[in-house]
Amino acid sequence: MGRVAIEQGYFTIPDDPAEPPRLLGSKCPRCGEHFYPRRLVCARCLHQGTEAVLLGPTGRLHTWTYVHVPLFAKKDGSVDAYGVGQVDLPEGPRVQAILVGGPDDFEIGMELELDLETLSSDEDGNDVVIYRFKPTAGSGRVA
Amino acid sequence: MRIEGAAVAGIGMVRFGRYPERSGAELARDAGLAALHDAGITLADVDEAYVGYIQPAAMVGIKAMKELGLTGLPVTHIENASATGLVAFREAAWAVASGRAEVAMALGFDKMTDMARGAPSRGMGRDQLDSTILPAAYFALWAQRRMHDHGTRPEHFAAIAAKNWNHGALNPLSHRQTDHTVTVDEVLASRMVAEPLTAMMACPADDGAACAIVASTDWVQRHQPDRRMVRPIASALQSEAYSPGHTFLGPVVGPATMTSTTARLAYEDAGLGPDDMHLALCHDAFANEELEYYELLGFCAEGEGEKLLDAGDTALGGRIPFNTDGGLIARGHPGGPTGLAMVHEIVTQLRGEAGARQVEGARRGLAHLVGGGSVCTVNLFEAD
Repeated sequence: MGRVAIEQGYFTIPDDPAEPPRLLGSKCPRCGEHFYPRRLVCARCLHQGTEAVLLGPTGRLHTWTYVHVPLFAKKDGSVDAYGVGQVDLPEGPRVQAILVGGPDDFEIGMELELDLETLSSDEDGNDVVIYRFKPTAGSGRVA
Repeated sequence: MRIEGAAVAGIGMVRFGRYPERSGAELARDAGLAALHDAGITLADVDEAYVGYIQPAAMVGIKAMKELGLTGLPVTHIENASATGLVAFREAAWAVASGRAEVAMALGFDKMTDMARGAPSRGMGRDQLDSTILPAAYFALWAQRRMHDHGTRPEHFAAIAAKNWNHGALNPLSHRQTDHTVTVDEVLASRMVAEPLTAMMACPADDGAACAIVASTDWVQRHQPDRRMVRPIASALQSEAYSPGHTFLGPVVGPATMTSTTARLAYEDAGLGPDDMHLALCHDAFANEELEYYELLGFCAEGEGEKLLDAGDTALGGRIPFNTDGGLIARGHPGGPTGLAMVHEIVTQLRGEAGARQVEGARRGLAHLVGGGSVCTVNLFEAD
């Protein structure tokens, strides 16, 4: 039994559960722009043939909201309210994802770190995981 | 390029609402027949049709068209998410302006309540990571950032929602009808959906159909000599332009610059500017959008939207009334027909037939929609 991604091709699942995942991104060898998720053609200079890179695991919160209805698309029906944010990775891409924490835990500009959450288990007994962002230690909301 | 030689010959719509007992094809038929009747023609006179809908099944549009007749006319399906209806109209207008058709139809319909109930939808089977988050959340993210940048308060968003609910009460074709004046406090007190957006700041999920018939100005002059002619004069359509920090994954609002760029192109095509408009309809699926579009459509400078709102300039009776028919929030937003309901409202206003919500002396109007965070269209209309 191990951990499997809800969908292949978007993020790593480290062997060590204490290690944060990374996002599977692309870098343009000509203009240097980074992208998430992976793409073949550079969206900035239209160069064909980007390089595979790993992005994150930290970023800064650009904006966030707290949603008061059950998690959309029933990925996790037990969750009736949750945070959503846009996170700016140091490499450039802005990533939209679920946030870990309560309605009072977030502030624009705070540092967040990628984290894996278990949603369910598959028929082989593996944990099915999705990535989310959580506040890094010490980056809690300034009082 | 300015649209020359085309005019709206007929409009019709089925009031948006919930129609569990009626099929989308029936709704489309009734809107189509209303528009044909308004134009004084039958399908035999229509040279070409563009049918727009968001619902996922293939060839639904041509099946709906058969309810109006089987005349062999060319039918093209259009799908651009929320912008579908205006894009179908744009194609009909250009089919006439190009000379290819003398009379063209744009027909939109959808049953969003079927999709909301979990019928097979386009979203299923797509990237799963792409469909995790509630649509209200993307707009709430935009609202939260504006509050951070400009000091906007939830009361501003509530004031826009209340205005549009109250506009809707003056429109017999609005889905939502209230028996009292909706207040800012009432909007703020409604159920919280995604902070700071409450349920009354959001459009409903509903069903409906709307249709517009475009004909050459010669045809309209000949057949409708006693009616004030309303002409589409510009239609700009843009998709996203890349800029650093672009969000690719997950349904998103899309770059705000998409609206300002599209509006600029439409104004340039028409040789006009925002000061020349007398009313505007915009994509207010969530109330904070309308505040942003005051600025992005050029009606005030960046960061000045709250002043425009507070002055009452965007309410009926103000300098540039927005969403005079109730907007997506009150009139409704089934998807495919939404843009054609906007055409219906602008034509009604420019004909001077809007009754209690008439914008006095209105001669020019603007209709804006975004679709799926990936496209934007701005359309300008002018009456003689």
